[in-house]
Parts: sequence; C-alpha cells; structure tokens
Amino acid sequence: MSRSFRRLMWAITALTSLVTSAAAGSTISARDWDAYKASFMGSDGRIVDDGNSGISHSEGQGYGLLLSYLAGERSDFELIWAFTRTQILLRDDGLAIWKWNPAASPHVSDLNNASDGDILIAYALALAGDAWERIDLTEAATGMARAIGKVVVKDDQARIILMPAATGFGAEERSDGPVINLSYLVFEAFPVLARLAPETDWERLSRDGRQLIADARMGEKKLPPDWLSIHMSPKPAEGFAAEFGYNALRIPLYLMRAGDIDKDMLTILRNGMTGPNGDVQVVELPTGNVRKELGEAGYRIIPALVSCVVDGTALPKDLLTFVPSLYYPSTLHLLALSFAAEGHQECL
Amino acid sequence: MKSRLLGAVIIAGAAVFGQQEIGNDVDFWPSFAGSAEESPSAGADTSQLAQAPQSSPELPAADAPEVDESALRFFARQGDKRRLEAEISRLKALYPNWQPPENPLSIPPNRDTKLDMMWELYAKQRYGEVRKAIAERQAAEPQWIPPEDLLQRLSVAEARERLVNASDLQQYETVVRVGSEIPSLLTCSDLDVLWRVAEAFAKTGRQGRAKDVYSYVVANCDDANERLATMQKAIGLLPRPDMDALLAAERTGTDGKKEFATIRAELARQSVAMSETDPKIEVSPADLALVETLATQGNAPDALLLGWYNLTRNKIKQAEEWFRKAYDLEDDAKSSQGLALALIALSRSAEAEAIAYDWRDESDELLRTYLAAAANLLATDPPPQVEPSVLERIVETAAKAKDPATAQQLGWYAFALNQYDTAARWFGQALAWKADDEPSAFGLLLSRERLGDRAGVAAIQRTWAGRSTRIADLGRTVNNPRKLRQTDAPTGAPGGALLAPIPYVQDTLPTQSPPEAFTTSTPNPPSRTIANDRQSPRQPPRRRSCATSNVPPSTLSPAAALDRGWCLMDVNRPLEAVSAFEAALRSGSERIRSDAAYGQSLAYLRAGLSDNAAVSAAKAPQTRRHGKELETAILASRALEAFESGRYVEALMFLDQRDAIAPQQVDLMILRGYAFMNLRRWSDAQRIFQAVAATGSREGAKGLSILKETRRDVSESPRN
Repeated sequence: MSRSFRRLMWAITALTSLVTSAAAGSTISARDWDAYKASFMGSDGRIVDDGNSGISHSEGQGYGLLLSYLAGERSDFELIWAFTRTQILLRDDGLAIWKWNPAASPHVSDLNNASDGDILIAYALALAGDAWERIDLTEAATGMARAIGKVVVKDDQARIILMPAATGFGAEERSDGPVINLSYLVFEAFPVLARLAPETDWERLSRDGRQLIADARMGEKKLPPDWLSIHMSPKPAEGFAAEFGYNALRIPLYLMRAGDIDKDMLTILRNGMTGPNGDVQVVELPTGNVRKELGEAGYRIIPALVSCVVDGTALPKDLLTFVPSLYYPSTLHLLALSFAAEGHQECL
Repeated sequence: MKSRLLGAVIIAGAAVFGQQEIGNDVDFWPSFAGSAEESPSAGADTSQLAQAPQSSPELPAADAPEVDESALRFFARQGDKRRLEAEISRLKALYPNWQPPENPLSIPPNRDTKLDMMWELYAKQRYGEVRKAIAERQAAEPQWIPPEDLLQRLSVAEARERLVNASDLQQYETVVRVGSEIPSLLTCSDLDVLWRVAEAFAKTGRQGRAKDVYSYVVANCDDANERLATMQKAIGLLPRPDMDALLAAERTGTDGKKEFATIRAELARQSVAMSETDPKIEVSPADLALVETLATQGNAPDALLLGWYNLTRNKIKQAEEWFRKAYDLEDDAKSSQGLALALIALSRSAEAEAIAYDWRDESDELLRTYLAAAANLLATDPPPQVEPSVLERIVETAAKAKDPATAQQLGWYAFALNQYDTAARWFGQALAWKADDEPSAFGLLLSRERLGDRAGVAAIQRTWAGRSTRIADLGRTVNNPRKLRQTDAPTGAPGGALLAPIPYVQDTLPTQSPPEAFTTSTPNPPSRTIANDRQSPRQPPRRRSCATSNVPPSTLSPAAALDRGWCLMDVNRPLEAVSAFEAALRSGSERIRSDAAYGQSLAYLRAGLSDNAAVSAAKAPQTRRHGKELETAILASRALEAFESGRYVEALMFLDQRDAIAPQQVDLMILRGYAFMNLRRWSDAQRIFQAVAATGSREGAKGLSILKETRRDVSESPRN
C-alpha cells in the first residue's frame, strides 16, 4: 500500500468512526446485552472475569463500556463508568489501575496500568461523549487519551510503539525489552483518540503497529506471538509462553473492526489460527505445534468472520446466536457480532 | 494559569464553607491561593484543572432561595440525624437566607417514590446505581429533570470516594486534582477529606499548601477531638515552624486547659529526640523545660530522652540522674542501657555491669553495652575486687559473644593479679577472635615473658615484626604493663581507649577463630586445656589445700614436692606446679622422678609452653603410656600454638604428626578445619567440618557457616 493511500484510508476510517458514533445505532441487541450483563456485570458496575477467579480489570471495564455503548444501554454505561471512575481510574498519571480483586483487601495490590484497558475505556468514553453529547465523558476521554499518548506511546528506534504498561516492559527494565503486546493495539480507537489528543501521532502508531504484526509472524503458520520482544529482530518475549494464544487471537478481530481490510494479512492469520473443525488453535512458536483448541463460539467466530470478510462466506448458524460462556470469549463474540451487524449484514 | 485556577477553586471553596466564620478568611485565603504559585503540579493535570471552575455550579442568588429540601426530607424520614445535620449546614452555606424547618423530622415525606429510591441508594452509598436509576428514568420520562441537589451531592460523594481510594493508594496527584475539582468536599463536616488533601499536598512537596489546609481547620472547625486529631496529623507532615504557626490558633477550654497541650509536649519531645544523637543541634529552652517538667511528673520515656540528650552533650551527671529516674520508673532494656552507659562514663563500671547484665540478651546493642561495662570494670586501675560470681558471668558472656575486647580485658585483669598463665590464655583467645588485635598480642607477649617462655615471646615478635614497635622492643624489663598499654598503644588501637569509657565495643570480626571446643574459653577455673584433657586417665588424688602454702618447694622433700605439684595442678596454678615438680625431680626414686617429669610436662602444657613441656618429658624415663600421652599432648599444644601465631602450615604438620600416633579428636579436627580455612583451602576445610558435623558436634555446623560467610566476604572483597 502506498503511503498516500494509507493516509486516505486513515481519513476515511476516522470519518466513519465519527459517523457510526454519531448514529449510536444499537449494533448489539438488547437480548444479547442483557444476557451478557446478567453473566458478567455486578450490580455495582463491575465487569467480572469469571475465567480469572472473578477479578476485574481495566480491560473488562473498557469492554463493558464499549459493549453497553454499542448496545445503546446508557444506564448500564453509567453504572460501569461509575465503578471504573471511582475504583480504578485513580493513577496519578491519569491512567487506570489494571487489576481489582474483590477477594483481596485492599482490592488493589498492583498500581500498574494495562494499556489496552486504558485505550478501551478512553475510546468508549469518547464514543459515548459524542453520541450522547456528554461533555463530562468527552473530557474524561480527553484526559485519558493525553495520558496514554504521554505515558505508554513511545518512540522506539524508527517507529512508534505502544508499551503494554507504564512500567515493567521497557528496554531499561528487561534484558529483552522493549516487550510489547500486539493485541493491545485497538486500531479502531486510534482515529478517535487522535481527535482528542492530537499531540500524539496515533496514525503512525497504527501504521507501525500493523507493520510489526507483519514482521512478527513466525514459524510455519506465520503467526505473531502474544508477547513480543523487539529488542533485536522480533521474537517471543522471555518469561511468557512462546505462543500465538488468548491475547493474539484478537488481532484479526481488531483489524477488521478498524475497517482496514488487508485481505492478505487476514487470510494468513486465519489460516494459521484455524483448526480443521473451525476451532481456534493456541499455537506454539515457532514450531507450529498446536497446544490447545478453543471451541467456544466467541473464539470460533473470529476466523469465521475473516472468511466472510475475505471470501464472502456467511457465518455458520451456530455462531449467530449469543450464549454467554466465559467473560473473555463472550466479549469477543459480541464484538464480532456487532461488527457484522454494523457493516457486514451479508455475514449474518 | 495554574495559580489562577487553583485560586479560583480555593475561593469557590471559601464561598461554601466560609459562612461559618469569621473575618479572618481575609488573612487565610490569600496565603492559601498565593502559595499555589509554587505548585509543581504536573502538566497533565492542567487540562482537568482547567475544567473545574467552568463546571462548578453557579451559586444561586442569595435573595431567591428555591431550596430543594428533598434530601432533607429523606434523611429526616430515615432518622439519619448525622446526614440531616450535614444537609442543613450545607443548605445554609448555599442559601444564607434559608431557614431550616424547626422540626425537620416532621417534614412530610416525598411523594416521588422513584426519587425516594434514588435517595435511598444514595444513602447506601451505591452511587453508580443512582446514576443508573437517573439514566433509566430519563429514558422512560424524557421530560423528567433530576434535582440539581441530587446531582451535586452525587458528584461530591463520588469525588469523595475517588479521593479516598486514591489517597489509600498514595496517588497524591489524583487526590489533589479531585480535591481541587470539587471544592465543596473541603469542609469542616468532613475532616477526613481535608486531612487526605493536606497529606497529598505534603507528600508531593507542597508543604505550604498542606499547612494552609491545616490552618483552615484550626481557624474554622470547632470539634475539639477533630481539632486535636488535625494537629496530630500535621505533626508528621509539617516542619516545626509551620507547627508553631498552627499552635497560635490554640483555644483554651472552659476548664482553662489549653487544647493542644499534648501537641506541644509531642513537639518538645521530638525536638529533644532529634538532638539526642547530635550535640550540635540546639533545643529551644522552652522545649527542654517542657520535657523536663513531664519527666519530673513521672514519665519514664521523657526521663530517658533527657538522659540521652545530656549524655550526648557530655553532661554525664545529669544524664545519670535522668536515666536513674527512668530506670526507677521502669526497669527496662532502654533505661538500663542508658544508665549503664552513664555509669561507665562516671567510672562506676561495677554498678553499670550489674544493671546491664539483666538485659544483655535483649539485643546486640545491649550485649555490647554489657560487655563495655564489663571491660571497663576489669580495666579499672588498680584492679578492683571482683566477686567470683560476677567474674564468672563476665567470662560466660564474653565467651558466648566471642568478644575480643572483653577477652583482652580479662587478660589484663589476670595479668594484674599475676595470673600470667590465665592472662596468656585470654590474650590468646582475644587474638583468636580478632587476629590483628595488637594490644592482646602485646598482652600475650608480656604474659609469656613473665612465664619465662622465651620461644613464645620470640614467636610473637616474629609474627608482629614491622607491625608493632612495642612488641619488637620488648627486651628490656617491663614493670608496668598497664602503663605501657596506655602510653605505647598504637594510635587507634582499642587498648589505648579501654580505660576511658567505651560505650560500644567494636564488633567481633568474622575471623577464622576456633571456638571454645578445643581451647580455653574459660581460663579461670576450671581450666580446660588440651593437656588437661589428655591426662584424664590419671586423676591425681584429692589433696589438702596447697594454694595458701608459702613454703618454697625446694625446701620440701621430693615426695612432698610431688604432692604439692599435683595439688597446684588441681587448683590450676601450673607455673608454681612446675617449680614443685622440679623439686620432686631431685628424688632418688625413679618412680617419683618419672611422675615429676610427667607432671612438669603437663604443667608446662597447661601453661601453653609446649617446648618446655617437651624438655620436661625428657627429664626422666616415662611409662609407655605416659610417654605417648605427653607426646600426643605436646604435638596438639604445638599445633594450637602454631595456629595462634598464624603459622597454619606448621599447625597442620603438628596435627598430622599427632594423628599418626593417637586417634582423631573432634576438637583437633575443628582446629584443622580452621587452619585450612585460614589457608583458604576451602574444600579441605569443608570436608573437615562436615566430618565434625557427622560426629554430632555443633561446631561442625558452626564451622561450615563461618566458612560460607568467609568465602562470601572474600569473594565480595575487590582486593581479593
């Protein structure tokens, strides 16, 4: 893709994100949202990660805000935002504390942030602020967008990268640092954050992030690892499982949702991650050995959606109905269905 | 920009709670706002701060009070008196012309049940659910407008929750930011929030602003307990001049008592305590006088403070009086330590020793205090009469602590009592615990000289060649070793300082010292030496007292002299025994001569003079058993002596010779281990200590642990 074409794409994406947010159409049905919140939302607005001992985190709050926005459920959005604001959006730098444990006292034991959680929260706030003409939400989104740009968006050699957190992953903190997580790049959020915090080059972050995904694909199956060291040439980070797993499987979903349909890239990712029966595979890198097959609908819908977008194959019927399983695949499921409902009716 | 905004925020705050008071807000607020100039507030904050004045609600005009009393009604109905009162004072502040109903509890309830539900959730602090309920109702009833009062209170309550959470997590910038955004949080009705904001200011380097907050409280808030608590919070965070400024707002109670008396006391104590270790820090006479008053009234910790204060300033007599007072009030570790140190400084070491003894096991510091007292007691000139029980416990403690300074003083003490043999052992022990202890080497030298051990003297002089003039110079007669060690001690050597008070004896070094298993940790009776152990097959019969007899042995018959010799051995006076055995050697009886030579050899061994022992052993034919026993003991003694002089290779050689003729002994294995360690033959040392440990001896494990430590020290030392 030429540079000018990329710029054009960026502009279009930015525009569409504005249009869709202004429309605030419910791309998630009330039935699906009700099922989701009955399973994962506490009466205090806390999104519960039931696959992870019932803790909560900034990612979950961000997803909860985004999904309730996409469902057009303002009152639940208020509830989730109230919890987020008072319980985790407390860091001096304006970012959210990543983890909140209901079983521990105090609930917070680690003050670090998680950049994808921050991006998701800021993004959802910005969308809601625009759609519902809520200055307070836009202001909060702006504060977070600025903080994200300042604290975790960093220059690294000739590129811009997203650090996974404010501390713990940098070149000076790890021998194989910087270590990044490519699935923390919520591409669809960047044009929105760019309007709020223009001092950060979100467009380049987006472009360099896509390039890193291309460069980090390794092994026979050409998949990127969950945690990537870019200290030298890209390789799996030390201390993490060297695999394409629960983190990275979101990457094609995020790429599609951002509206940038790079068919070659999506096809390669789909082919690498999909098992013979359509399950998503956790793949050891670079050997390509399959460590686990994930059969929940929320995982399977990702490669299926790629097939629809790339080849025009409609989604299998069993994936069209949302039935909550665990928090994480359920969240991915709703994001995928919302994407299809928004601009790809042919998939449904 | 920043200062303008914070000023605006602060002034908005004043409008809310300034109603309660007073004309002095003119003095107060400008300094509060003015200090914002120095604010190092982060750039990220400004955007948020910028929003604050715009979003803060407009205050209604005073003459048109359209007062929303729904909250009031709700709290009244709930019987929640505290919230009711808070709401009344809040509404009064907002609407100065508004009059609260005379009996709020008689206010009729709201008829709006949905709104009631919202207030109920609010009262349960479920603020997110209130937000949710408002949004739901707005969706269902588009014309419905939530009461401004509810929205405001919700914002304040949520901000409070956020502020408290951020404060608990030490996110002080967030605390300041939230506090600035919602100035109505900062009121006398919620001092916890004010305290947290003040703390956040102080912890982010804005003491001036912290002080302003505390000043506001003591100027405007009336609850006596809260005022006192505010001052207590401030003590930990504000410098003294700021505290003095706050104290100016002190009120006097109806009982005539000053409300901040405890604060003044605490500040005075702090000031004395801070100067406790540094005589250059001055304490104001007022502070000192206050603490003295408190101490005189019977507060032991205050007396203790004054003890340290005076001790540091070399006012020993006063220190002793205050420590004595503390000690009489509470006999605990701290007071006895202070008192002991003062007594040492007053050259009353016997009292110091007795006081420090009870608490010696409390901590290393107290142990050092006790040993200092003991060392100073022993160093008293002329040598004092020390009770045997006292001496015994000094010996026991010194051995347990492996303290070279006390060992050295025990050496000098024995030396002064002409017990040169005992002295030599203690000096040797001191050297074993601290190989470079020159005063102990010098003491050992003098002791050997007195014992006539020329070879031993020469050995020390060889070992210390080039390191000590006085050791090298010994050749002329030395009459007063005590004088010598005072005047000739090399600069900085502990020996020079021993007669002066020594509050802290220097630490024992982790030198490769053989522990008590094989050597003379308790040289005063009962004396355990290698030779003594070896002679165990022959237990001389109990005899009448021989120690008091002044008859020269040469005048005795050989048989009587032999008896005297064994008797003296029994009471551990080996050098006198040597003379007695010498007289016995003149006997015509081969049996007596053989026995005398045997005894003399043992006596020399016990005195640590193995060369002489060897000569004695040859003076008369020995039974095979005695001969072998002596030879074994002499080799062991030579090994020990070589070890003590730092000639480890020779020590190993003697041990090899000894082991060739007699079974292994655990204590000598330990000696071998330490010799290896000193030669840095780590793996050999390791092997030996492991073998020792396998016999069940604790010394094996100890050796292994010292070995480990030594190896680490060596590997960490850049010079090695």
